[in-house]
Amino acid sequence: MKTYLLILTLLTASLASAQTLISGKVADQKGGAVPGVNVYIKGTYDGTSSDAAGNFSFGTGESGKQLLSVQALGFKSQEISVECNGQPVALQISLAESINLLTAVTITAGAMEASDEKKSVVLKPIDIVTTSGAMGDITAALLTLPGTSTVGNDGRLFVRGGDASETAIYIDGLQVGNAFGSTASNVPTRTRFSPNLFKGSFFSTGGYSAEYGQALSSALALNTLDLPLRNQGDVSVMSLGGGYTQTLVGKQNAVTASGNYYNLAPYQAVIKQNFDFEKSPSSWDTEISLRQKWGNAAEGKAGFLKAYFHTEGSNMTIWQKIPGDNGRGDRVQLNNRYAYGNLSFKHAGNKGWFYYGGLAFSHNRDALKLNLDPIRQITQLVHSKVVAVKDFSPQFSLKNGLEWYVKSYSEALVDENLKRNYTDQQVNHFIEATYYFSNRLIMVAGLRSGHSSLAKQTWVTPRFSVAYKMNNQGQFSFAAGKFKQLPEEKIRIYQTDLKNAAATHYILNYFIVKNNRTFRAESFYKIYDNLITYKGLATDPQNLSQNGSGYARGIDFFYRDRTSIKNTDFWVTYSFVDSKRSYANFDTQVQPSFAPKHNGSVVIKHFVSALKSQLGTSWSWNSGYTYHNPNLSGEMQQKTRAYSDLSISWSYLPRPNIIIHAACSNVLGRANVFGYRYASQPDEAGSLASLPVGQGAKRFAFIGLFITLSKDKGANQLNNL
Amino acid sequence: MKKLTLIFAALFLTILTVTAQESPYQKAMKKEIAKLIETDSLPVMQQSANAFARIAELNPKEWQPYYYHALSYTFQGLNNSLTADKKDEALAKAEDLAKKADGVSPNNSEIVALQGFITMAKVSVDPSSRGQSLSGQVMQAFGKALALNDKNPRALILLAQMEYGMAKFFGSGTEKACGSAKQSLAIFAGQDEEALKAAIQPTWGKFLAEKMVKSCQ
Repeated sequence: MKTYLLILTLLTASLASAQTLISGKVADQKGGAVPGVNVYIKGTYDGTSSDAAGNFSFGTGESGKQLLSVQALGFKSQEISVECNGQPVALQISLAESINLLTAVTITAGAMEASDEKKSVVLKPIDIVTTSGAMGDITAALLTLPGTSTVGNDGRLFVRGGDASETAIYIDGLQVGNAFGSTASNVPTRTRFSPNLFKGSFFSTGGYSAEYGQALSSALALNTLDLPLRNQGDVSVMSLGGGYTQTLVGKQNAVTASGNYYNLAPYQAVIKQNFDFEKSPSSWDTEISLRQKWGNAAEGKAGFLKAYFHTEGSNMTIWQKIPGDNGRGDRVQLNNRYAYGNLSFKHAGNKGWFYYGGLAFSHNRDALKLNLDPIRQITQLVHSKVVAVKDFSPQFSLKNGLEWYVKSYSEALVDENLKRNYTDQQVNHFIEATYYFSNRLIMVAGLRSGHSSLAKQTWVTPRFSVAYKMNNQGQFSFAAGKFKQLPEEKIRIYQTDLKNAAATHYILNYFIVKNNRTFRAESFYKIYDNLITYKGLATDPQNLSQNGSGYARGIDFFYRDRTSIKNTDFWVTYSFVDSKRSYANFDTQVQPSFAPKHNGSVVIKHFVSALKSQLGTSWSWNSGYTYHNPNLSGEMQQKTRAYSDLSISWSYLPRPNIIIHAACSNVLGRANVFGYRYASQPDEAGSLASLPVGQGAKRFAFIGLFITLSKDKGANQLNNL
Repeated sequence: MKKLTLIFAALFLTILTVTAQESPYQKAMKKEIAKLIETDSLPVMQQSANAFARIAELNPKEWQPYYYHALSYTFQGLNNSLTADKKDEALAKAEDLAKKADGVSPNNSEIVALQGFITMAKVSVDPSSRGQSLSGQVMQAFGKALALNDKNPRALILLAQMEYGMAKFFGSGTEKACGSAKQSLAIFAGQDEEALKAAIQPTWGKFLAEKMVKSCQ
């Protein structure tokens, strides 16, 4: 027993003598205490956490030179060499913050993101289908955001005084040609792609990254879903048609196939139309999407391959009245065939390398019959892209990309055997550096260069943006850049050596998200140069040149609130655009018809649990469209009355896997006018007769039933979003 | 008699050696797990997280240190005294660590259930905008965890909670959810908790099952 005690005493003594006490205080770079820091001797269990005042203290039995590891969430880890020889060690440790991409400043100038994960978003992906008045059209939902103008007789995206061709649309980083359905003039179109395909989007109304080019005003990047969750079938039965989608999911791969058919004839037979359709629009589309994952993200190397193919066809025949003529007018018959294929990959490699890119192909064929003359137009676009991103440190990354485009267009007068066409090849390179000075300050600078074989032109455009986050979580961003775009194919075909038009953007933005409230204010100034001008009519332009110029300037506001009113989510936007340009056949600078001065929208979604329903309403308004009245002197002298549309919608979930959606646009039945068309010959009184360009019908009503069939009874078609 | 004493002595010795063989790893894990499961305090959760980080660094081939490291951040991500940003930061860390655990021990029912729990915590940060897109993922994770081990009481009770919420929303019966809760509680009750603790297997969650079974009555 005595021996035992002795040994015990000896042991304790020897242990005590070998113990080294390590203590100290951890502070951030401003001297503030950092609690909860993990402080320990590397390779041992000896360690502790700092307390609320940043103090720590622990003993270690290790001896000699040791590495003290200091780690805390939000800070860069440190290793400090300490000598353990029984003497107490006291340390003052200062930790530098690390870049946290979840909470760090982001560039919000020009950008509006729809995402589930990120903070600086104005929309959630689900908003696109639940915004009433949007009728499931991506573009229509985006038109409730600041910086856009609703042009009701067109249906495409018009951004800040720019025309619809000034917006480039991408799916998984690859450009889409003819993203909107083909239509007759003054008959609105919609996006060809279903919002259910996408998990998020990035919509820029200016000042965008060097990754995007050949767009003077705007870029819209849509990202498709990754792996779906489960095997399921989705049935949709709508007042306009129906469709079926089947999804099969494997461990690392998935396939989705869908087919849809739409026909407006039954609807238009019941509801009175203003448009004189001989054959109501009908369309079919099929889609197949394949996804394959590889590697293990936890071990570093991992990637994703996506393939997506979409084909569709549509038909319509419409009679369009001629001003000053009492007959039925011109007969326009349109048959469209469209195909889009996209193969894209993402791969995360070792040592901070990340690669992505792919190949996309669009083919659009319009067979038009204007009265008796058949016309055939074919537009094709090939886009291939490879991008390598290297993270040199958490602060600094560099993106390098190479792109190759083939753009071709042909048009033929079939009966006369007349045909003209062109093919243009473009090579682009972009490089972009991102640098975080801290979690509060970020700077992005890029350079995009390009060459067009047809235009025989080489160009370089710089882009720059910077953002600073303040103490109250609000942030300011500034973006500037130069943007180039070759003229539209229907002009380019007349003169193939036309050069780029140019735009310069300056954007200042304030953005704040706090407690489910988002406020965004943005002012912009955009300068246009080298716009196309001509004499005569657009269908037969003479003296084509590129002397047009102009500007767009203004300010817009966005406020979204999800908390102030119970079960209600609403947003309000207002955009002021002052834009003038000399373009097309105008001699002077005029306010274009597609750039109303004041634009506003209100979107409200209210959830009623007792009814298992979401009720929605949206109101969109602008101060009117300018138009040119040839009976008066001057150009674009007149303006239509204000545009206003109040839409309502009701989504009902009787069971988890069933959604019934009903919606009606323009419930008040306002007769909106988007402009006037004039006769080419004067009447007896010597004036040119006019006809208003209006809506296809007073209202548009929709009802649909969406059923999801899967083993998981809780699944419905919104789960994909 | 002598023989019997010998046997006893031998047995006693074996037990002794078994206890003596408990490695510093096991000792440290047991201590920290007990601390984490008991606490409601954020600083203590962070201390646990730090301790598990230290243990994981020395035992990179074991999944449990990553698992509990992730769990300690998941609990932080559910703590309502934190801002949404802080919760998201903790949950992002938890997600990362759960992925590491999965890398060490793939197709582990407990890790898959934890991943579902983390996603569930992410939904609770902002239910109105994340619920729709993430709840499917949560259900799927619990479904997968149960496919790997249909006796996983944590996967059962968490799934029951999700089902309960959905049943309430759609006004349908909560029988199925309550049934799962009861089943979970029965599994908890039938377990040899000490043996599981000795093997450093997860044991938490019984309280959740008790609470839910009570509210089902």
